[in-house]
Amino acid sequence: MLTGFQEWLGRYAVLTSTELDLLSEMQEVRTFDKRVRLTDIGEIEQYLSLVVNGLVQKYFLRGKEQVIKDIVNEGKVVSSSVSFFTKQPSDYIVETIEPTTVVSISRENLEKLFQLGDRWERIGRLMMTDFLIEKEYWLLDSIRLSPRERFLRFFKEQPDLVQRVPQKYLASYLAIKPETFSRLKHLAAG
Amino acid sequence: MNAVTDKVDPVFFNFALDYLQRYFSVSPGQAETMMSYCKMRHFDKRMVIVDEGDMEDHLNMVVTGLARKFARRGKSEITLQLATEGHIVHSEISFLRRVPSPVVVETIEPTTLISITYKGAMEVLDLMPGADKIARLLVTGMYIKKEERQYKQLHLTTRERFLEYMKNHPHMLQRVPQKYLASYLNIKPETFSRLKHLVKMQ
Repeated sequence: MLTGFQEWLGRYAVLTSTELDLLSEMQEVRTFDKRVRLTDIGEIEQYLSLVVNGLVQKYFLRGKEQVIKDIVNEGKVVSSSVSFFTKQPSDYIVETIEPTTVVSISRENLEKLFQLGDRWERIGRLMMTDFLIEKEYWLLDSIRLSPRERFLRFFKEQPDLVQRVPQKYLASYLAIKPETFSRLKHLAAG
Repeated sequence: MNAVTDKVDPVFFNFALDYLQRYFSVSPGQAETMMSYCKMRHFDKRMVIVDEGDMEDHLNMVVTGLARKFARRGKSEITLQLATEGHIVHSEISFLRRVPSPVVVETIEPTTLISITYKGAMEVLDLMPGADKIARLLVTGMYIKKEERQYKQLHLTTRERFLEYMKNHPHMLQRVPQKYLASYLNIKPETFSRLKHLVKMQ
């Protein structure tokens, strides 16, 4: 389990003890019950949040339908990221699925780190590069894989989430019709 | 026919710089360093800049012309990006991760790019103070564009996507073959033809 941004950002550079201390001062632990909104549509996202324990989804509303863009479990970062980086109102809702603990860093504190100079700018650049690459792979997968392939890949890579996440959320996240999802699940189980 | 000009025309470079300065500031000294690492590449129309399986060695900005990025799915091509003057276009995954490109980048019109190689970009990042900040903001901008495009694709109806795009990019209907535009907007070709009448009526 990740301890916080010390470890998460520590992938990009070997951090000194001063830098580790700085990060632990800057991040805050936040705890939420299940089905609680961290960010709502129209709000300006203030945080990048690393999930330490629990499960969070990010979705928008198409009419009354929830369209799920992201399901985030332990060790991954969740945020209404465009709102976070542009300071524009969020198009998305960020909401817990399970009771969740996150470690969050605010935009203000992240900007303070970048102002410390090129070393933190480099860490920031590598972090953003990972966000960009992950997004691009996701887009490519959504184009090149069939619903069946998307399902099988997810089932293989995140079997724990198949148990933890309500089926309708997973179907929405993988852009698979609920009835197709049920059929694929039987195939995978059989 | 392709050609490379090692020295970048300052007029073109300033054009590129103006686009970048919308998102972040670049000092005159930084601009001079960056320009010395760049070159200009000229491509005829319908030329492949990067093919699937190639290693992407350049980060490019279009200064004249039009390029598209697409992914293959079976025999069909899914257009992911239509890049006109001032846009950054390349195979991001291949360039940044040093893996074979999963996408194709090709020109639609005769196109001139200002390009920096991977090696050049790494040198600038190591040598030029402030380079990481510029790169961070550039990558952040690219990330936001991708996110916003995906949101529009998922959130807007076919008709809304069409009208929104035509309003913001009125000249593209003339410049881009219809099948590429339809693919880019994720609209069936026959639906696209029907929607085109909406624009003509205005």
